[in-house]
Amino acid sequence: MSGGELPGEAYVAALAGFRNMNVHRLGALLRRHTPREAWAVVLGEARPHGLIAKVLADRDVAPTWKRCAAERPPEAVWQRCCELGLLVLPYGHPRYPGGLLDDRQPPPVLFVLGDLGLLAGRRAAMVGTRNATADGREAARSIGHGLAAAGVHVVSGLARGIDGWAHRGVLAAEGEGRPIGVVASGLDVVYPREHRDLWKAVANCGLLLSEAPPGIAPEPHRFPLRNRIIAALSEVVVVVESRESGGSLITTAEAIERDIPVMAVPGPVGRRSAAGTNHLLCDGAAPVTSAADVLTALSFQHSRSAVLPADLRARPRAGDLAVYRELATEPRTIDGMALAIGAELVEVAMALARLESAGWVSQADGWFECVGSPLR
Amino acid sequence: MLAAVRSATVFGVEGRPVTVEVHVSTGLPAFQIVGLPDEACRESRDRVRAAVLSSGLVWPSCRVTVNLAPSSQRKGGSGLDLPIAIGFLAAHGQVPVAQIEGLGFVGELGLDGSMRPVSGVAPMVAAMRDVRPVVPTASFREAQGVVGDEVRVAATLREVVDALNAEGPWPRPPEGEFVDDEPPPPDLADVRGQSTARRGLEVAAAGGHHLLLVGPPGSGKTMLAQRMSGLLPALDAETALQATMVHSAAGVRLPAGGLVRRAPFRAPHHSSSMVSLVGGGSTSLRPGEISLSHGGILFLDELGEFAPVVLDGLRQPLEEGVIRLARARASAALPARFLLVAATNPCPCGGGPPGACECDESARLRYLRRLSGPLLDRFDLRVGVHRPGVDDLLATGGGEPTAVVAQRVGLARQRAIDRIGMMNAHIPPSRLDELAPLHPTARQVLREQLEADKLTGRGYHRIRRTARTLADLDGDGELVLEEHVVMAMSMRVRLSVSSRERAA
Repeated sequence: MSGGELPGEAYVAALAGFRNMNVHRLGALLRRHTPREAWAVVLGEARPHGLIAKVLADRDVAPTWKRCAAERPPEAVWQRCCELGLLVLPYGHPRYPGGLLDDRQPPPVLFVLGDLGLLAGRRAAMVGTRNATADGREAARSIGHGLAAAGVHVVSGLARGIDGWAHRGVLAAEGEGRPIGVVASGLDVVYPREHRDLWKAVANCGLLLSEAPPGIAPEPHRFPLRNRIIAALSEVVVVVESRESGGSLITTAEAIERDIPVMAVPGPVGRRSAAGTNHLLCDGAAPVTSAADVLTALSFQHSRSAVLPADLRARPRAGDLAVYRELATEPRTIDGMALAIGAELVEVAMALARLESAGWVSQADGWFECVGSPLR
Repeated sequence: MLAAVRSATVFGVEGRPVTVEVHVSTGLPAFQIVGLPDEACRESRDRVRAAVLSSGLVWPSCRVTVNLAPSSQRKGGSGLDLPIAIGFLAAHGQVPVAQIEGLGFVGELGLDGSMRPVSGVAPMVAAMRDVRPVVPTASFREAQGVVGDEVRVAATLREVVDALNAEGPWPRPPEGEFVDDEPPPPDLADVRGQSTARRGLEVAAAGGHHLLLVGPPGSGKTMLAQRMSGLLPALDAETALQATMVHSAAGVRLPAGGLVRRAPFRAPHHSSSMVSLVGGGSTSLRPGEISLSHGGILFLDELGEFAPVVLDGLRQPLEEGVIRLARARASAALPARFLLVAATNPCPCGGGPPGACECDESARLRYLRRLSGPLLDRFDLRVGVHRPGVDDLLATGGGEPTAVVAQRVGLARQRAIDRIGMMNAHIPPSRLDELAPLHPTARQVLREQLEADKLTGRGYHRIRRTARTLADLDGDGELVLEEHVVMAMSMRVRLSVSSRERAA
């Protein structure tokens, strides 16, 4: 095998993409061998350490790894990393994030795009359901905006729903706070695809991290692992909206194991999308109703809060305000609204049509919801 | 030794005259039927022979040949039993040949000589207009609805023979007014809440707009659809006759009065095949559900569960009001002008308020894709149906009863007919400005929607037609006002593939 000029990181990057490879195995391999040796061990050209020999004796492991070694030669993986401008940080690298060094399950290698210096700042994680309500999205956006305006970096997973909206809020703020995205796939595999622009923006003005080398698809088992990194990189974890089970609750469990405080945004009792967050509150999580609550938890002064941009939407006329206020409490159908405010169907339809065309509410499947920052 | 008897068979929904020629001769005893009879027709040999013998008549040892003319057409069904028996009796001299002139016979025979009703009597007697039809007593009303009091009836073969031999009178047809034995359709007053959906039914009935009900399971889509038929006015004479023909040809039970006067309501299950829906079959081209709902309502529950090819088969009849079926040996045009009412869930899990949906985006997309495209386009009204709230269910007194709404519907339909001679749903786009002029504020609302890309060109036309109907329901104003346009738009819910990620 040639490639004597390749750095050790190239071999680590290639090994990290193997099938049947996991955090424990890669960690063990790299603790007991140098990267180059590890590669030779996998190819069967060097004698494995006793523990590694046991792993290789496992069913399928040795042949699978040999196949993977042929599919992912370190030269090609390294070339791809260089093309993408990725920083490859094996555990123990001088620039490897300090917060992860003494973690209970540190990533054996990290792939990084963007400004690693952000990890030296104050950091809060924002997570939540992918299937967010309009309220949840608005909460995520405004809290993200507020945190960024106050100079707090926001760690999130770049998933659909809450994650995406939190980072949109951060990007819209003109403060010091930056987005930090931790993703499950390789940094060249955008998922979900509609977040292509968001990824780019996060990589450009923030930090993008992954445990997976380039070209690795967002396989389901990688998401819970990604969540532990989100928790480990943050000083506080804020759950915006979550059902009774879901990925964001895995993040909170990881945070609790690491003694990182968990906070939650309360939602209406009985609404399914708030079941998980309300449960967290019952269990003692601190409630969050605005960015200020998070800042308090981070022992911040709230003196640097930026002024929110002016709302350009035309203010609803007096008669429509009743409809808007009713809608602000929960989503409604036309029928439900007519019943709630005791008005004729036609009047309600007209009011909703005016509110919708002015951008205050939106409609899908016959349900109306308030959108954007609430009317004050 | 030879006799010819007039009769008819059914093809599609039309009767086709058939002449039954019977020849009786000496020779080896045999009984043959030629002229492309189908299985049921060929089996009539055994029924006819037994019926003749049990009626106390004679079946000699001779050679009997029956020809069904025109002999190049396939004939089916058991309605030719009676003409074959009469033909034999005439050819054998047990009935005078002269007596069967000017008469046409239809009916199935039992082994005991009784006459049984067959399907398709209405189109069959219509095809024998130049002769007096003789039908089984049970088919009297059906035949009377088409040809009036010319009809003669009999309960047994013996009665027919006696009448022909002048040994007895023709049996008197059953008398007295027939009470409508159909239960009335369920009443709208049973529905709690659902004011938008009720309004949707009213508009659909008044303007002839196809209606799609969108809502989670248990929200009452089926309940609402079943109440729709009560809103439609009784069929006009021509449509009633056409509908009767279709029902008769398909062997569907007719109302006691003989004519289908009430708008039909058909609700085929979503496992229905293409042929059962649009009609077909190799010999007789039996009418399908779309023809059976001619003049009334075709209700497709769980629209997304129907096979896509079956749904595509609906597009042409929806457009033209007839279904043209063609087979290798035959083709037919069957009436199929129906109001399509369909129900669907917004997504596989059934949906509900925002945030309640369990489905991921690809599942939602796959589900909606089955509906989308040209068929979805044909619904003027897409009304959201939601589970009624607790207050609705507990409220005392239901909404308006069917009779009140039906009266408004009738008035609005009359306005539309007076104005253009057709239903509002059929106004061509080129005449919208003339027939459905917009108030300036209404025009402004539509302009905003079009500019915001929330409305397509086609959607624009549909909303204008629906708004026209809403205006007609409100009164006799010629102008379409803003409130009508807004209401029409609210009856066209957006089916969102990705409702959870709309721009905020």
